[in-house]
Amino acid sequence: MTRAILIGAALLVLAVLAAALHRQWRRADGLQAQLDAAAAELQHLQEACSRLAPAGVVQRLIAGGVGGSSEATAERKVVTALFADLVGYTAMSERLEPAALARVLNGYFQRMSDAIHEHRGHVSTFLGDGILAYFGALQPNPWQCDDAVRAALAMRAAMRDYNTELAAEGLPSLAVGIGIHRGPGLAGLVGSRERMEYSFVGRTVNLAARVQMLTRTHQVDILVTEALREELDTRFVLRAMPAESVKGIAEPVVTYAVEALTSSHTG
Amino acid sequence: MANALQHVAWESCVLELHRDRALESWARKRQGVPNPAIGYFAPVPWLARALVDLHPEYGLLMRLDHSVMDLVTLVVSQENSCRFCYAAVRAMLWAQGMSRARIQRIEQDLARADLPPRTMAAMAFGRSQSRSGPAGARAARDVLQQAGVGADEMREIAFAVALTDFSNRVYSISAVPTRPMEQMPDQLHMRLLRPLLNRLLRRSRYPGRPTPLERIPSPPYARLVEAYAGSPIAAAVARTLEDMWASPHLTRRCKLLMVAVIARGLACEACAPEVREALQREGVTDATLTQILTHLDAPQLDPVERLLIPYARETIWYEPAPMQRRTRALRERLSGPQLIEAIGVASLANGLCRLGAMVLDPP
Repeated sequence: MTRAILIGAALLVLAVLAAALHRQWRRADGLQAQLDAAAAELQHLQEACSRLAPAGVVQRLIAGGVGGSSEATAERKVVTALFADLVGYTAMSERLEPAALARVLNGYFQRMSDAIHEHRGHVSTFLGDGILAYFGALQPNPWQCDDAVRAALAMRAAMRDYNTELAAEGLPSLAVGIGIHRGPGLAGLVGSRERMEYSFVGRTVNLAARVQMLTRTHQVDILVTEALREELDTRFVLRAMPAESVKGIAEPVVTYAVEALTSSHTG
Repeated sequence: MANALQHVAWESCVLELHRDRALESWARKRQGVPNPAIGYFAPVPWLARALVDLHPEYGLLMRLDHSVMDLVTLVVSQENSCRFCYAAVRAMLWAQGMSRARIQRIEQDLARADLPPRTMAAMAFGRSQSRSGPAGARAARDVLQQAGVGADEMREIAFAVALTDFSNRVYSISAVPTRPMEQMPDQLHMRLLRPLLNRLLRRSRYPGRPTPLERIPSPPYARLVEAYAGSPIAAAVARTLEDMWASPHLTRRCKLLMVAVIARGLACEACAPEVREALQREGVTDATLTQILTHLDAPQLDPVERLLIPYARETIWYEPAPMQRRTRALRERLSGPQLIEAIGVASLANGLCRLGAMVLDPP
């Protein structure tokens, strides 16, 4: 009798232990799954970060932590800046309902970003209805000028297709003005303690923005500066524009309208 | 076993699998276990052989510990988002007895991995080289020197990183199927076979022995091979280069132009002069080369060169899926062996130009 009780008690203890072990095992499995998910998320995040800033900058940020000095990420670079802006946006925004306007704008941003990304550009920021993109900022790119102008031509083609879609829905057509310039500047993380972004600061960006504004004066959609033209493939068909004074630049700015890319070489 | 790269988009394989029993048997003998991917590259023998011959594990390293090399390969493959190589190294580490938890710790947080400082320095070097390329070579070298790594060992680490960059590109650009390798540690029969696998893998890995370099290959990369003279690495790289130049699917000029574009894209000052010299011997004038390197095109190019020069540029920095789609698009315009050879040349140039910047001082 006593023996039976002892065996029963031992079995009970074993059963309790087995149940506890099973529970712990399941808990460990759950924790492992959470850890795996967190690791995958972290990896994803690091990869996403490397699309927003050069890999070296992300690496230094990770090493230094969030509180680390952002000044350490700054460096001088030669970059090609592309500035695009919608023509007639203000008038359109007054005519369309907010929901329709947001949809049209999102479609525009998506198509322009795709064209820029396809040609190895990096969209730095959306400024209202404008887009600021860089070529050669995230990774060294000796072909940045050709890439930027090819991107601009792809943006022109994408805009044409988008206008066909908009017309089919009875929505107004869009037009875009694009200014491109190449030059030196300071690249790095810029901003306040609360909000930072990888940016490029200097005259190059300002001039690209001013050249974009000249597209209205010259009634063309893509303009490049003299500095950019010197680096361009001769297969791009360019048309010289009269020099114009722009705000903040002492000398009149010489620009060229980009007409097409041909398959034959000249010059 | 959860894998940090499983979310990386990966297309279906661009190449067809060819059964070549002699090649498979040779690879199995060299590596100890069957190589499931070598058949994809069988139509271009120099590339199929290079994937085994240049693998640092099989008699090429005289000083660097194989376990350190495995970890370097793991982090470089992770950086390059090569799902195939990453899964293969993970499976190999697991087969050799490393616990899943330890592998995950290494992947997740290098700083907290329970590894010796020199191993961590080698891994940090591999990570940094893959992220920054030649631009970060000097800083990467400093990291190793500070950890007390000697010059010979450093050259072997640099070789391991460069050759991982090479194989990562070959497998990623071709989109070699990853699933069998990723699932291996989860399969019951593989778990049961784990001790046997461990024995087979250990038996096939052996340290290198001093090997005289019979002759320095013609440029480009002659200086690079010379820098490894005395090591089995020099002989293996020289043989691969000779076979690559002799392979008939693409012209020597086309291959050289692809190498030149990659050297320019990586700003590899160490390799660029030798490539220029080799192209001059092929009759490419300085003006033509400048035009090609500046705009990736010139009237003097033939149709295949016109396709492959911009393509070579795409292999420098890329995301796997878009690169795999670009490669698939070439299938309609190139023969099967031409496409495989183009992948091989671009991948090898990416590895060797990165190595050149690391090992050679710019002239």
